[in-house]
Amino acid sequence: MQQYNQTGPVLMSASVRSPILELKGLTKQFGSFNAVAGIDLVIGEGEFFTIVGPSGSGKTTLLRMLAGMEVPSSGDILLKGERINDLPANKRPTCMVFQSLALFPHRTVGQNIEFSLKIRGEPEGRRRERCFHLMRQLRLPESYYDKAIAQCSGGERQRVALARALAYDPQILFFDEPLSAIDYKLRKALEKELKDIHRETGKTFMYITHSLEEAMVMSDRIGVMRDGRLVQVGTPNEIYTEPSDKFVSEFMGEVNVIDVRRGDAGRVVSDSLGETFTSPPLPPGFETGHLVVRPEFMRFLASGDSAENRLTGRLYNEYALGSRIQYQVRVGENVFILELLRQRAFRANLDDEVTIGWDSPNSILVRN
Amino acid sequence: MSAGQAERSGFSLSWLWRPGRRHAAPIMLLLLLGFAAPLIAIVGFSFGRERTFALWQTPTFESYRTIVEETFYYSFLWSLGMAVATVVILVLICYPVAYGLAKIFGRWSNLITLLMVLPLFVSENVRLYGWVLFLIKGGVLLGTLKSLFGIDAESVLFTPGIIVFGMVYVYLPFMLFPMTLGLSMVSREVKEAASDLGASRLQVFREVELPLAMPGMIIGCLLTFVLSVGAIAEAKVLGGQSVIPIVHDIEIAFTYAQNWPLGAALSVLLIVLVGALVLLVLRRFDLDRILGRR
Amino acid sequence: MAIQGERVRSNLVVVWTAAIILFLYTPLLTGLLATLTSSRYFNFPIQKWGFDWWGKTLKSLEIHALFETSLLIALIVTAISVLIAFFGALAFARYEWRGRSIYQKIVLLPIFFPQSVLGLALLLWFNALGMETSWHTAVFAHLVWVVPVATLVISIQVYSFDPALEEAAFDLGASRWQVLKEVTLPVLWPGIFSGALFSFLLSWGNFPLSLFTTGADTTVPEYIYAKMGVGYTPAVPVLGTISTIGAAVALLGGYALILIMRGRRTAARGTA
Repeated sequence: MQQYNQTGPVLMSASVRSPILELKGLTKQFGSFNAVAGIDLVIGEGEFFTIVGPSGSGKTTLLRMLAGMEVPSSGDILLKGERINDLPANKRPTCMVFQSLALFPHRTVGQNIEFSLKIRGEPEGRRRERCFHLMRQLRLPESYYDKAIAQCSGGERQRVALARALAYDPQILFFDEPLSAIDYKLRKALEKELKDIHRETGKTFMYITHSLEEAMVMSDRIGVMRDGRLVQVGTPNEIYTEPSDKFVSEFMGEVNVIDVRRGDAGRVVSDSLGETFTSPPLPPGFETGHLVVRPEFMRFLASGDSAENRLTGRLYNEYALGSRIQYQVRVGENVFILELLRQRAFRANLDDEVTIGWDSPNSILVRN
Repeated sequence: MSAGQAERSGFSLSWLWRPGRRHAAPIMLLLLLGFAAPLIAIVGFSFGRERTFALWQTPTFESYRTIVEETFYYSFLWSLGMAVATVVILVLICYPVAYGLAKIFGRWSNLITLLMVLPLFVSENVRLYGWVLFLIKGGVLLGTLKSLFGIDAESVLFTPGIIVFGMVYVYLPFMLFPMTLGLSMVSREVKEAASDLGASRLQVFREVELPLAMPGMIIGCLLTFVLSVGAIAEAKVLGGQSVIPIVHDIEIAFTYAQNWPLGAALSVLLIVLVGALVLLVLRRFDLDRILGRR
Repeated sequence: MAIQGERVRSNLVVVWTAAIILFLYTPLLTGLLATLTSSRYFNFPIQKWGFDWWGKTLKSLEIHALFETSLLIALIVTAISVLIAFFGALAFARYEWRGRSIYQKIVLLPIFFPQSVLGLALLLWFNALGMETSWHTAVFAHLVWVVPVATLVISIQVYSFDPALEEAAFDLGASRWQVLKEVTLPVLWPGIFSGALFSFLLSWGNFPLSLFTTGADTTVPEYIYAKMGVGYTPAVPVLGTISTIGAAVALLGGYALILIMRGRRTAARGTA
């Protein structure tokens, strides 16, 4: 049986690293609108930190302030202890990979990668050497050196953009959703590749995305952002197992959320289901909130099976998701989803009456 | 391309691609009758005998010989020189405005564009004559200077400089709009990326903005150059015939001198000059990219 | 600090643009000033202000005839030009066909051509054909220059037109004519309207083509040109100002109309 609190591979905890970037009450106002509303954060050297949030959460504005393309309204940005609020982008030892990639369309692959070296006035031989080194590292064939950007595929452009940023030798690399326009399969491959590059270069990466799934794959730590604030910061495992609220838990992907209120004897009551459930220990002062159960922690119960909480409904539909199968069960008006590994598929006909259940350690109680 | 599309859309949809040629037919017919044919006629006339008005006769090179022997090259040089001056001045004064329209003015851009377009629809004679009234002795400028400050200045009218001034004035929108189009093709992110990679403001301009805006700027330069070479009103209205541009020579040959073959031959030379330049530059452009991508 | 420099630069651009606009309008305003005198000649500062010349000009039968000729030419040019340019624009920007790239450049050629030379060439051509020049031939001459401009203006709208719309309508059972009427025309309408506006205004203000191709007929710009020197009276700037105001009203009115239509469409979408 699965349980929460399993530990993933721990690479290096944030506290061990020396801080490279510190944000203190960082705020950006556009008119009366707070795009970024007071963010405090410390990022360690060599960390892969991802900020996740829906569109409009202020994550791009945050990143643009860090990269020097937007000036903070208040608060401070400290890079290795030095305040860099007013340092323009071209003076900051940081570099950004844009959502649109912003490759120079009038330059070849090689010229794009060498751009910052040329700006710095490095001799051609050295530029070329560094360029070919980066192209090898990013698995771009040498023949691409003279290729036009327009002739490159999506994945190749990603690599060129990354190589161009790495050539600058930045202390921190920022990524503004560079993979969002790429198809699923290639995106998955590039996510892993990016994490490998992070490992090889040992640089600090700060990544923003609206996909928590993407963040989970790559990051050492994740910050979940909403309405200009950081709602929760933690390792992928912490975010996954202990979401701080309903927003974060739902952002994690498909989950079952039951609205509940405090009941008797440490139990909670769902008015819409007319049931009482055993839940994890109620935090002090808890009155109403949500009981969150992940689809993989719910199971179908046969007649003899026991579970702390159980519900009876009808099997509405099933969906094959590659290695897993997802089931939709309807209890009255409420929809529940369950996920099983393919080899453990549940056999039943649509519209059959089924009983589903879960144990309290597999559920999470969050406030509104 | 078209064949491939035809296969993809299947037989029943074939009319969707075939009309390309059919829809182009009316305008092509118009240009054939109203543009190509007159040009051929002018070429025909240019080989005619002096002071004749018939198209069909044995060709001679008389008119071309006259052009070489007389001082028409003087007019050509004036026209070309003033056109170059006009283009250079226009590039300099239009760039900030084009930059503003493409990057700064935001939703005000439409209104400002409208303000810039409006004078185009007033006949250039009327506008140039407005300048005459402004600059002439006893006009708005000198009259004000005299009555308020007692300064009795000479009018700048009827000098070659004022002709260039007039051409800058009349052709400004023809530089401005292609330039704006070119500059709006430079995305903010690309410039930010360059700056992020350490480029200074000047380097961003030289390495990224200018090369990317180039197609629009070249179109603007070409357009204003061609229009300036063919200009006549500025020299007549503002220049007071202090300089005779080539088109004025052509007009004189056709009207007062009644020497059509000579006028035609001069026109042919001008057309060859301008046409070669236009074709040379236009050949290198993908119009779909410039006009389509906004 | 960086933002400071940015703001200074923006302000400079704004000031420069304002100066350019003033530059563009100086002669038009001067023309307006020149109409407001009671005397026969223009002398600044104006000694005797008055609207006398407006009254005289507006009453003149000769000038009525001028406006009639100009208006007639402009209206006919607009109607024909929009029709040809609409199809021309579809061929320019909508359809993929062999020869399109050459076609695009041919269409641009007349725009890049000195108009006075074109006017003379047309005069020669009409003469060679044995045609008498009059306002009829002027309409044709205007078309040669106006149609390419209108094609270009409409093409810009056509570029943003998704051909899948037509295919979808066709797929849903619309006939070729219905596709045109229900989908293509409504979607391209702002471009067509702009094309019509451009056609009208360019024909209305044209001088170099009219000069050589109107024969005995006279348009407003030609009349102004003829009276600029020796024949000057304040009626000349009055005419210029009237045609300026006419152009402004047509342009601003047209622009407002497009805004209203667009507003209405978004409003309809909002309530739906």
